Amino acid sequence: MDEEIKGKGVSRRDFLKGLGGGAIGTAVVSTGLLDTGKAEAYPTEATGTRRGKSVINLKVNGRGYRLEVEHRATLAELLRDQLGFTGTKIGCNRGECGACTVILNGRNIYSCSQLAVWMDGKEILTIEGLVKGEKLDPVQEAFIEHDGPQCGFCTSGQIMSGKALLLRQPNPTEAQVRRALSGNLCRCGNYNREVAAVLAAAKAR
Amino acid sequence: MAQKEFSVVGKRITRIDAYERVTGQAQYTGDIQLAGMLYARLLRSPHPHARVVSIDTSKAEKLAGVKAVIHHQNAQVPWASGGHTHRRYIFNNPVRFVGDAVAAVAATDRHIAEEALGLIEVKYEKLPHVLDPNEALKPGAPKISTDGNLSVGKGNFSAPIAEQWGDLEKGFKEADRIFEDTYISKHVNNAQLEPRASVAKWEGGKLTVWASTQGVSNARTDIAKDLGLPLSKVRVICKYMGAGFGNKNQAQDYDLMAAVLAKVTGQPVKVEFTREDDFIGMHGRWASEQHYKIGVKRDGTITAVELDAVTNVGAYRKQSGNLSGTDFYQIPNFKKVVKPVHTNTVVGANYRAPAYPQSVFGFASFLDQIAHEMGINPLEMFLKNRVRLYANKTPFTSNFLEECAVEGAKKVGWKEKWHKAGAAAGPKKHGIGMALGGYPFRPGLGAAAIRVNPDGTAHVLVGVTDIGTGAKTTMAIIAAEALGIPLNQIQLTNGDTDVTPYSVGESGSRTTPFTGPAVIAAAEDVRKLIFNVAAPQLKAKAEDLDLRDGKVFVKSNPSQSLPLGRAVARSGELIGRATTNPTFKGLAGKSFAAHFAEVEVDSRTGHVKITRYVAVHDSGTIINRLAAESQIKGGVVQGIGMALTEELLIDRFTAIPLNPSYRDAKVPTHLEVPEIEVVFIEHPDPYGPFGGKVVGEPPITPAVATVANAIFNATGKRIKELPITPDKILRAAQV
Repeated sequence: MDEEIKGKGVSRRDFLKGLGGGAIGTAVVSTGLLDTGKAEAYPTEATGTRRGKSVINLKVNGRGYRLEVEHRATLAELLRDQLGFTGTKIGCNRGECGACTVILNGRNIYSCSQLAVWMDGKEILTIEGLVKGEKLDPVQEAFIEHDGPQCGFCTSGQIMSGKALLLRQPNPTEAQVRRALSGNLCRCGNYNREVAAVLAAAKAR
Repeated sequence: MAQKEFSVVGKRITRIDAYERVTGQAQYTGDIQLAGMLYARLLRSPHPHARVVSIDTSKAEKLAGVKAVIHHQNAQVPWASGGHTHRRYIFNNPVRFVGDAVAAVAATDRHIAEEALGLIEVKYEKLPHVLDPNEALKPGAPKISTDGNLSVGKGNFSAPIAEQWGDLEKGFKEADRIFEDTYISKHVNNAQLEPRASVAKWEGGKLTVWASTQGVSNARTDIAKDLGLPLSKVRVICKYMGAGFGNKNQAQDYDLMAAVLAKVTGQPVKVEFTREDDFIGMHGRWASEQHYKIGVKRDGTITAVELDAVTNVGAYRKQSGNLSGTDFYQIPNFKKVVKPVHTNTVVGANYRAPAYPQSVFGFASFLDQIAHEMGINPLEMFLKNRVRLYANKTPFTSNFLEECAVEGAKKVGWKEKWHKAGAAAGPKKHGIGMALGGYPFRPGLGAAAIRVNPDGTAHVLVGVTDIGTGAKTTMAIIAAEALGIPLNQIQLTNGDTDVTPYSVGESGSRTTPFTGPAVIAAAEDVRKLIFNVAAPQLKAKAEDLDLRDGKVFVKSNPSQSLPLGRAVARSGELIGRATTNPTFKGLAGKSFAAHFAEVEVDSRTGHVKITRYVAVHDSGTIINRLAAESQIKGGVVQGIGMALTEELLIDRFTAIPLNPSYRDAKVPTHLEVPEIEVVFIEHPDPYGPFGGKVVGEPPITPAVATVANAIFNATGKRIKELPITPDKILRAAQV
């Protein structure tokens, strides 16, 4: 009815949760990291209890954590709100802008589009984890030298995508860098700088 | 004025806060976590125009974790931000666009707040709505504002923006040919990466707001005014800011909502916007329909211009709604009438150089078209008609627009590459185009303080925010240069109204011209104090001393010197301060630019590839070459998006925005953007700090028209409506 608006509707997180059961099932089969008992604990119905929680074990920036996470929480929320790694930003929360990019088992992913419960047994690298003691990662150094950040809000994501590229392709071409960073938007329009920085970091290694 | 030798100014300086920005340490508003902090989310209207008959929040309030629900009945707070044209509350009844805020919920976590929004039951009585500004001006159209759909002007009554000089009739009589046409631009969202957030906390009657704002001082003034508090009871802090491009000037409704929710609950509150909230609930660049009548002599000289336009400012008037793209041309007889019109759509307001790129698109496209029809080379047409006197009467403080165009044409190879429109062979058509642009450079109120520590290091205090422009670095460079100490001896604190002096806010490219002179004056102030304490130690008179490279020395005998740290070692702390308010006295200021683009248009698919882009700028002395180049590149990228892809589509029947997301609004990515070549024509301006004018806003102004004119040169078909998408190019080719 037009007249009676109950701002209802299935939220995106309910939708993700609906998908959750299936995706977790796959994870069980492929990695064996989760036992079926745990998987059953995930509510799959949109009307189910919204406050469900599970305990997961994961590694972030080389350190192990045992955490209780809400089923509807994303990896980005886990990193930012529970662990305080706020260098990972949320720009769109729907897998479009890349501000939340982190490295999961060696690959760059959107942490806003992964549920925290899926992270059991996984290893995450965030922008904070790139710094070794006092020493910045070559990609970070190059971002300073080449004026990579303007407002800086997309910068962590750009750097993590650049880092993930260099992990699998240490000597990329400019076209490869552009493609690798194409999932990371920069509204300040500093694309030339970000590409130059990743290329310079590749040379510096 | 001859170019001075600078020790810091004009170099390529990496940002003083780059480390924080590349390590994730920079704390943005959304990163702030306070003990006991609640999270708030907003409910928005699904209707373009409706009366809120009732709001039942009982179910929402019963949800465990919900602490407060506010709406128009229990939180009647004006959101005046700026002035009389902005007549609005934080919650309005009736609601006037799809996305108008209806209620806000504070809860113990964001998911509960989000869930609670779905439990609020609102009964609406739908009212007739209007989306098109021309329809909105017709008699009998649904009335959006009580003052009428033509928005109120300075006199506080409905009035268009009007400007006139010379004798229009005479001008058209002198013309050999008269051209008339209409150009259209669309609503484009600012789409800054940082979603809106605001954190508010009350302590003993004092409100602290961690805002994501472009100006802490203005935000404080506005929040105090809207909440009825004395200025001393409001503190606004913004240290790092994830950009705004004009949509985070001053205080916004969510800053006020955070303050109200924090007051009601007695707990700190963080309001967070979703990306969709940002696209539909705040504002983007005002759309426009520009009707031009232009008279020209046989040789292409403009004799008269008449502009009659409507701009769509949406449901509420937030900023001017003006069109100023004719600024870059010498027009002896001129009349402009721009009607900012209310419609039941999202607000059209400031986005980087608010009144320019859409308007330059219209005027410079039309001038390019006239050149084509008269058989004149566009470069000649633009050079001939470039502005010499502002509004045909006022001289500029400096004007190197001609040099910009000549240099750019040389660099891009205009002479060799330009061809008649549509003349290129093969399915992939080469095109080359240009346009002129720039942005006002104004002086104004600024303040700064500099503390010189006993070890000779200095601490600069400025109220500026740094929304990505590098303003903190710019101010530190200016301080280092003016003080005579190395940049690495300077620390800087910014963006906190309890600590830092007044700053105008980072909008209108005003930070360097407003706050820069204050930093220089504060440096001069503290230098006097330094010379006073150094004079007896150097056995010289204070007025005979100078300070450079961190050393105080006797001017007539530089070897008679002391390191600054030694000179001030026993002085505790020396504090220099200044409030400055320079004026131009009968002069107009402007930064200028000429842009050139080459494109390849695939005539089979309509796809446009920008193959080369050259941006030449007259911004006076460049304070920081590295950051200034980045600013130019970024402005061009935003212009490319506006030219080729971006538009907020609104369903004509339901008035619902159809593409409120990055992907669907088609913001440019790494893949669409060419290398942007930046050239600075550097002549110091006699009125700018160290000769600098403005950099932030100019680059977007000519970019849209430059791309449009290059596409015309490739295809021979003029697209008069933005964005220039493949479907429009293919349709034009069939005509």
